[in-house]
Amino acid sequence: MASRPECACGDTSALAGGKKRIIFPCAGTANVGLISNAAALQLAEEGYGVATCIALLGSGDPGLKKRIADADEVVIIDGCPMTCGAKIANAQGVIPAQHIVITGLGIDKVYEKNVTEDEVELVVSAAWEGKGRT
Amino acid sequence: MKIEVLGTGCMKCKRLFKNVEIAVKELGITAEIVKVDDISEIINRGVMLTPALAVDGDMKVSGRVADVKELKEILKG
Repeated sequence: MASRPECACGDTSALAGGKKRIIFPCAGTANVGLISNAAALQLAEEGYGVATCIALLGSGDPGLKKRIADADEVVIIDGCPMTCGAKIANAQGVIPAQHIVITGLGIDKVYEKNVTEDEVELVVSAAWEGKGRT
Repeated sequence: MKIEVLGTGCMKCKRLFKNVEIAVKELGITAEIVKVDDISEIINRGVMLTPALAVDGDMKVSGRVADVKELKEILKG
């Protein structure tokens, strides 16, 4: 009898030609920054990649630089057109394969704590769709 | 054109299905998009890693979520 197929929701994407990704949310304090964090965590939960702190990248951590060198893709999720995440990556010589700007998806930047599931889903979908590919 | 998304209903299968819908819409083509979630059928098709994508019976992607750009290239042939 044939064996049961394995679901790629585990860590099998690399075996099937999938990408090993590192996701950096800008982690700002306005709503869009909070959404960037929530989206990065949800993407990690869905097996899209590993969510990592952008501040660690900014610190020039050598361990993280090695992880980035070993990864296939870096994905930056910025909240607003300030694109702080992309600027930090650029300063460290990291070129993202995908750069998503949340306000560009139609979510306004406001200094509120409220984040809805729909807003997070919009960003998560955009990453899966490859909307931020350069 | 018949496009099948094979998978048992995990989140990655749902993401692939949604990307296929977007790709078909953006290309403006007519296609039948089908979910295949029966495990026996998936095994019989020789799929070892899900989600998988078949176009007119040919397996094009297995074990990962193709993004919209890649799907459009696949569907354009």
